[in-house]
Amino acid sequence: MLLSLLIFLPLVGALVIALLPDTLRPQFRLIALGVTVAELFISGLVYAAFDPANPGYQLLQQTDWITLALGSIGSVSIDYLVGIDGISLPLVILSAVVMLVGVVSSWNIVERQRAYFSLYLLLTGTVMGCFVALDFFLFFLFFEFMLLPMYFLIGLWGGPRREYASIKFFLYTLLGSVLILLVMIGLSMSVMDPVSTALATGLINSPELADTNIIRLVQAQLANGQIDPGQLVHTFDFRYLSDGGNYLPSAFLSVSGETLPLGIPARMLAFWAVFIGFAIKLPIVPLHTWLPDAHVEAPTPVSVVLAGVLLKIGGYGFLRIAWGFFPDGGAEYARVLAGLGVLSIIYGGLNALAQNDVKKMIAYSSVSHMGFVLLGVAALTPEGINGAIYQMVSHGVLSAMLFLIAGVVYDRTHDRRIDSYRGLNKTMPQYATLTTIAFFGSLGLPGFSGFVGELFTLMGSMQSAWLPGWFTAAATLGIALAAGYFLWTLQRMFFGPYWSRHEASALPDLTPRERLLLIPLGLLALVLGLFPNLIFDLTHASVGEWLKRFLVS
Amino acid sequence: MHDPLATTLLTLILLLPFAGFLGVRMSSRQVAGPLAIVLTGIGLLLSGVVLVGTTGPAVPILAEWLNMSGVSIPIGFRYDGPTAIILVLAHFVALLVQIYSLSYLDADADKPRYFGYLQLFVGAKAGILLASNLIVMYAFWELVGLASYLLIGFWYEKPQAARAAQKAFLYNRVGDVGFLIGILLTYRIFGTVEFAQLTAEAPTVVGLLLFMGCMGKSAQFPLIGWLPDAMEGPTPVSALLHAATMVAAGIFLLARIHPLLSPDALVVIALIGTVTTLWGGYSALFQTDIKKVLAFSTVSQLGLMVAAMGTDNLNGGLFHLLTHAFFKAGLFLGAGAVIHALHTQDMRQMGGLRRSMPVTFWAYTICAAALAGVPFLSGFLSKESILAGAFAWASGQHSPLAYGIPVALLLSSGLTALYMARQVRLVFLGESHAPTQAHPHEPDRLLLGPVVLLAVLSAWVWFALNPLSAHGSWPDTLFSAGQLGQPVNPAAAAHIVPVWLAPLSIALVLLGGWLGFRLRDPAPDQLVVRASVQYGFLDEFLNWLVVKPVVRLAHGLYRADTRVVDGAVNGGGIGVVVLAHIASAVDRFGVDGVVNGGAWLANRLGGLTRSVGGGRVQSYITAAVVGLLLLIWWLV
Repeated sequence: MLLSLLIFLPLVGALVIALLPDTLRPQFRLIALGVTVAELFISGLVYAAFDPANPGYQLLQQTDWITLALGSIGSVSIDYLVGIDGISLPLVILSAVVMLVGVVSSWNIVERQRAYFSLYLLLTGTVMGCFVALDFFLFFLFFEFMLLPMYFLIGLWGGPRREYASIKFFLYTLLGSVLILLVMIGLSMSVMDPVSTALATGLINSPELADTNIIRLVQAQLANGQIDPGQLVHTFDFRYLSDGGNYLPSAFLSVSGETLPLGIPARMLAFWAVFIGFAIKLPIVPLHTWLPDAHVEAPTPVSVVLAGVLLKIGGYGFLRIAWGFFPDGGAEYARVLAGLGVLSIIYGGLNALAQNDVKKMIAYSSVSHMGFVLLGVAALTPEGINGAIYQMVSHGVLSAMLFLIAGVVYDRTHDRRIDSYRGLNKTMPQYATLTTIAFFGSLGLPGFSGFVGELFTLMGSMQSAWLPGWFTAAATLGIALAAGYFLWTLQRMFFGPYWSRHEASALPDLTPRERLLLIPLGLLALVLGLFPNLIFDLTHASVGEWLKRFLVS
Repeated sequence: MHDPLATTLLTLILLLPFAGFLGVRMSSRQVAGPLAIVLTGIGLLLSGVVLVGTTGPAVPILAEWLNMSGVSIPIGFRYDGPTAIILVLAHFVALLVQIYSLSYLDADADKPRYFGYLQLFVGAKAGILLASNLIVMYAFWELVGLASYLLIGFWYEKPQAARAAQKAFLYNRVGDVGFLIGILLTYRIFGTVEFAQLTAEAPTVVGLLLFMGCMGKSAQFPLIGWLPDAMEGPTPVSALLHAATMVAAGIFLLARIHPLLSPDALVVIALIGTVTTLWGGYSALFQTDIKKVLAFSTVSQLGLMVAAMGTDNLNGGLFHLLTHAFFKAGLFLGAGAVIHALHTQDMRQMGGLRRSMPVTFWAYTICAAALAGVPFLSGFLSKESILAGAFAWASGQHSPLAYGIPVALLLSSGLTALYMARQVRLVFLGESHAPTQAHPHEPDRLLLGPVVLLAVLSAWVWFALNPLSAHGSWPDTLFSAGQLGQPVNPAAAAHIVPVWLAPLSIALVLLGGWLGFRLRDPAPDQLVVRASVQYGFLDEFLNWLVVKPVVRLAHGLYRADTRVVDGAVNGGGIGVVVLAHIASAVDRFGVDGVVNGGAWLANRLGGLTRSVGGGRVQSYITAAVVGLLLLIWWLV
């Protein structure tokens, strides 16, 4: 119930804002604030209700939604199915935090408030939906629906090149969606729901009777071709998609991997398709070029949400879907995948070094930091996977802070060029201090969360049996680059004698609202850095379970 | 020391400065300094109590920092001889430096920030000393780097200071990248990063990667350049961080990881130390900035310590770390007094200060003599120990080339005497070259007290009763207590000193000193001078080799990113649009044409049938069938 509330509360909020009369316009942002505060509270309840020792899905809620009879190939069942485990819970909480931060930083949006806050809440609901949906169809629905508000939020409230950026964002992600959609259909055709199938074949007469033995029996019957295809119930259920026993032996994406379009097993193609779909989201070089444009044009709160939450859906998709359903792909191509991660780390870092636009610098640093996520996932070690999840949370907090920081100067002067400012430390000491904290946190200073994420993804890749040691060594260079671009920016903008292209009066120090946003985020990064077990306690049981599929294959 | 009391005290020693960082940072101008001094005083007292009260090495574990899927990183203390001594030393020098800073930074408005950063440094340094494993040590290692960054850049409005701070952090980061890779490899090989369990030899490359941490922090060749630039920070900071304690962290690291180092790795370490000591010594020769001479002399002495560690002489290296901390801090604080009096750092505008600042002169000269290795002073003891160890090590090597290292170290100590004598001559002797309006005078007690105390502590007697040998002295005993692993240089441990060593080194020191007092600098445009002042053009070389290519690569990649990668995307987009237009044209003229044609045909046919049969229904059915047939024909 709690999880459904997480999804539908913002959707209802969006509807309410859309329908309220114009006279209540000043209340729109209050409604949005109220909803996101409630979201944070609910995610707190979810956290309290979660049992970290249980590696499986929890707080499950399942309702039959759509059942289609497909004639001779059985039927397909789509459920409204939500639940969380240790992989999704940290990201749910992160989303609740970042969405709240986003609302507060949207406080000064004046144009078309109704549309803005309505779309914002729609985004909130769909993002939550992505993290808690356990039915591929449902997940995909949220994944697609997320694009819509994002497209408008960039396209309507963005900077000068907003149309270009928003269309680029839309098309890029749509391309990824199409690939994911293809694989989704392929998967559902290849996988049965053992419980419903048992019901259909008359093996049992009530779903409650489906214990492990029955499921094994149905799977054995399936493997031996004893089930009439007309009685098969195809499914989108994540729990069944990740179990090789549920795959039809003759199906396109069967585990035996005999179908060979282009001489490559179909499963491997499917793996790459979903990988690319989510790699666009993360993003991974060379599929990243939408990100700098989207960030530069997006208004500050949308950048915060984009970097803080939306990118993480890419990493989540890796774990849940790409690697989750195609562990053979993840194992087979571990080197190439980790290599792409290393490439992103170095390439993103070097590009960040070349920027003169604060937001672009931060955007490329995101590319670099997300490379660590891919590296950790590809390593297939407990350190790597836990580290990747941790890195996503850490980057969510720190990148939100970084984009808010970029927003501070932009709000004041509409100028984000680094060389427009010098010696801001003198006139904006609070701003300088918080920027220093955010920069050092992001460049991996111990004590802040960035360090833990990088340390564990690197440790994971060094421990990995799949990867050569020099991969890790190359990735470690990324932390030197991070020190380079962050400190150089700090030196250019904040140190030296004061100078600016703009009037000093146009650059007052932080407002209370800005402090209210930046200080808690900084503290959060510090708390997570000092007590990393806050995250690892949640993740490690589920990650241990998750990794078992790689021992089998 | 398994008693909980000591553990509690150590925890306090570690946490007090971090609490102090926040407290001092938020306090007022008047309170900040005294509060910081009291905190460091308490820290000193506590570290003294633990030192006296403990019997042997101990490794109490405090808490699990992290425990996840079989990976466990505890936060614990490793308290042994080297930790005990250096902990007291760091607090002592920090205390003196803060007392000195009360007067030195009196006019500065930003004292809470300054003393806060110093507290941060003290806490981070204590963390390095106490850490029981590599990862926790690395964490504090980076924090020390942060404190150094903040303190070098304390006067952030000076562009050189901001640049120097950044350079220091980046040079250290480069070393730390290697250090971190080394730690990850250590973990991969041994399955642990606890010092207590790292007692077996690791592959050479792992040892050298770990050593890179030392190269960054202790400014070993080729990562030297940040240390002279770090002199842009306030002079007391130079004394504490960039002479006495922080830069010595690399030496401490080598002592900790010594069991991991293979013989080959040790040879490389000894070589790098030797190159560094000569490089630093030569670079100090013709500097004109009073602090830069001291900075390069620090580089040189750190090289000496590293060479000692490389020649398996842990006690010698740590002993020199200890003695060097006192006289080098004394020299920096003395230099600060001179700068304070003359408002310049250029030695060409000094001279003759022995008359106006006699106490400073004598204290400075004693420290300088200790640094040069004059007998009856502490520096002689520790240098002798290093040289003896190096000769003993060389005699145990297979190649006679190994003697190159001790000979080079001997030369370097002659070089030290040369540049220190030159500095004392330029600053204190001869005639004054100061602008006429300058009236140098002895500084106040807060400034002078620490300098005199440090000079007094440069005498031999505090360290060993025998003025010519440190054998069996208390630091020697303590350093040996709880050292990890066995493979120390047996000759160095037994202090087998060749009889000719002491006379030879004394002769070299005297020769160097005499030359330093007698010789005059060649013209500044000569190559030997420029090479020294620009430390062998190392910075230019590294800029050319690393910095510029990386920046160029970054810009090139960004161009490629926008033109090639993004260009492909946009090109693809444009291609699709063009394709869409073509398709649309085909649609309009081709497909639509066929459809329209079909409709026209159907219409005609319908009209035909209608006119023929006159019935409505039939004509429609006929038209539909014909249309369907046409459609099927078109589709197939």
